[in-house]
Amino acid sequence: MPAVETHGLSKRYGSLVAVEDLNLAVQAGEVLGVLGPNGAGKTTAIRVLTTILAPSRGSFAVAGFPHTRPAEIRRRIGVLPESAGYPERQTGEEYLSYHARLYGQTRGGARAVARQLLEEVGLLERRTSLIASYSRGMRQRLGIARTLVNDPDVVFLDEPTLGLDPAGQRQVLGNVQRIARKRGAAVLLSTHLLTEVEENCSRVLILNRGRVIGEGTVAEVVQRAAAPRSARLHVAPEHAELAAAVLSNTDGVEVGRADGQPGWLTVVFAPPGEHTADGSPNDAVRTLLDSGVTLLSFELEGARLSDAFLAMTEAA
Amino acid sequence: MAAVEQVAEQTVRERSAPGWAVVLHQELRDLWMGGRGLLLSFAFSILLSVIAYLVATNSALNFLEHRESVNVTLQVAVAVGGLLALLAGADAVSGERERGTLESLLLTPVSRSQLASGKLLAALSLWLAAFAITVPYVWFLGRGISIVGDALITGFVVGTLLAVFLSSLGLVVSLFAGSNRVSLSLSLFLLLALFAPTQLPSSAQKGWAGELLLRVNPVTAGEHYVGKIVVNGHPWSEDVSWLLSPMVAAVVFAAAVPLLGARFIQLRGGVSG
Amino acid sequence: MSRCRAHRTVLVALVAALLLAPGAQAADPAARLSVAVDRARISTQLGHKFVFRSTITNRGSTAARGQIAHLNVLSLHPGVYVDPEDWSSQRTRYLDTIPAGGASTVTWRMQAVNDGDFGVYVTVLPNSGSARPPATGPAIRVAVAERKTLNSGGILPLALAVPGILGLMVLGRRLRRGG
Repeated sequence: MPAVETHGLSKRYGSLVAVEDLNLAVQAGEVLGVLGPNGAGKTTAIRVLTTILAPSRGSFAVAGFPHTRPAEIRRRIGVLPESAGYPERQTGEEYLSYHARLYGQTRGGARAVARQLLEEVGLLERRTSLIASYSRGMRQRLGIARTLVNDPDVVFLDEPTLGLDPAGQRQVLGNVQRIARKRGAAVLLSTHLLTEVEENCSRVLILNRGRVIGEGTVAEVVQRAAAPRSARLHVAPEHAELAAAVLSNTDGVEVGRADGQPGWLTVVFAPPGEHTADGSPNDAVRTLLDSGVTLLSFELEGARLSDAFLAMTEAA
Repeated sequence: MAAVEQVAEQTVRERSAPGWAVVLHQELRDLWMGGRGLLLSFAFSILLSVIAYLVATNSALNFLEHRESVNVTLQVAVAVGGLLALLAGADAVSGERERGTLESLLLTPVSRSQLASGKLLAALSLWLAAFAITVPYVWFLGRGISIVGDALITGFVVGTLLAVFLSSLGLVVSLFAGSNRVSLSLSLFLLLALFAPTQLPSSAQKGWAGELLLRVNPVTAGEHYVGKIVVNGHPWSEDVSWLLSPMVAAVVFAAAVPLLGARFIQLRGGVSG
Repeated sequence: MSRCRAHRTVLVALVAALLLAPGAQAADPAARLSVAVDRARISTQLGHKFVFRSTITNRGSTAARGQIAHLNVLSLHPGVYVDPEDWSSQRTRYLDTIPAGGASTVTWRMQAVNDGDFGVYVTVLPNSGSARPPATGPAIRVAVAERKTLNSGGILPLALAVPGILGLMVLGRRLRRGG
């Protein structure tokens, strides 16, 4: 049974469609990346699945419980909201203990859980400091610790790396991986950072204007998006003109503008389906070598999730 | 990590406190250990000290003015204690919303009505602290005229009824207010409106309409009852009908808090999900 | 001639009887009642409470119905403002029917809210509002000694101590959390 399952899930505010006909299934141990531009409905979808908002239509089940049993769902999920605030006058340990007690822990048990989690996220030494003195990164780590106080089956993280420096982002994403791998929890990660999804998520879901416009593994989504790829080639300067001519005559390849430096060419490969033959970097390289062009370097760009994302959201 | 799970399982099997008690405990910690409650109590004690000092050093005080001074002290305690409870209630939900901490609470298994109830009880602690601070002043001022016991019991009963009513009122406003500023402003306005009839000229207060207004208004009715006991020396039963509106208001609004909280504690004020 | 005078006398007597009868009947209950108190003097201190009893006796031959007993207080010296309501909140008592030859005792609870010399007395009148003077009991002389009810000197330690203690608690909390 999937850890998270939705059927035709919709949320409307009057005539405004926030989420429309969402169908998804997330298995235990899986990390699903939820992508979308601002206003796509990511946060609304998470709030519906975490029982903060009631659905307008459709159904869902989380951790084996249907949406008609919200208290049972809340017992088994951990959530890091996008705009989570923290009580400035509590210490980190007090904060986690409080939430642990809200999940049914006794006082002693809550304290033990709080210390364990603070150690996991690297905040044990600051456990008696007021949250007011925590940096943004520390607060995010505290928030991740809070999502784990009840040892959840499903974890929802809404923009967990927002406002963090690269080191902080890496730390948070490391925690995400540990949550899925070691705890076997299903993780729904909503983020703007496409590289995060590429590196951490087994599957990705792309939302735009409340609707799903892409779903699958990263590779599947990229391929389905038919995003164009490009490359920068460095050839011997005396072969630059020959290289440009050869590539121009190759199907599915378009020579872009050289960036001014002698011997450098930019090439765009047509995505599959746009031409009878798709532009293949391998074919381009073979053609150049067969023509006697000295190829000094070849840097393939594109074919990234970011390109697929842009292509899909612009088209939608 | 395995240790966490073991502790988690073991302690969930043990007896844990109900949700409202956990909320109450934390709210009391935030209020009193966090320092805000102590600061408010300190400010209140300065006010009482000034009043008591001015009264006590007035050597021309006759017996009735002496009773009146005890009455004034008690009325100030009831008014300020009620005000503090009202403001705590008014901050309870809209304040959490504005600080961004409400969503985390809504994500726990604790029901929204238990959340509201825990916060209401914590707000009442400000009245209890105000009353406790008032006791030595009333004792000092009232011992010479043998009204300490009557004054304290009457003040406690009336003050508690009004504090329950006012903190519940503040919390209900907090549920629907779009911002914390609106919640606090509206609550203060309502309190001023409740106190306004006390400023009517005595001739207006004496007619049937004036008396009805004073009786229906829980704040003025409570004040009136305290005055009759402390100043006029009436027995408790003589004017007990004046306690009807404070009792009804306390019961109705206190019952409304968990009921309305269950439906209207939302991320956005006054919006149902 | 003497017969005419006799008729005239009877007529006058009849008229007088008709005119006087209602008043006489109404005056009867009041005239038949007497009020006595259980003491002549009370000495007390300012703010203290005291109690006395008044006994209303019906010396008439018919029951006295609808009688109202009322308490009053006045200063025996000029210049002292007395509000009887401050002395007692239950100054008016509606009595049960007093049978002929019977009596009714009323207990009055009061508090001395002024110092000085005062007279306290009880009157009884019928609820018909008769114009006849009510029955009045003897006045009790109440001597209320002045008493300093407030020790102004003792307030300062209290006025300083309570805020002082709370202020220290606030400071202690801030210092502990300051780090």
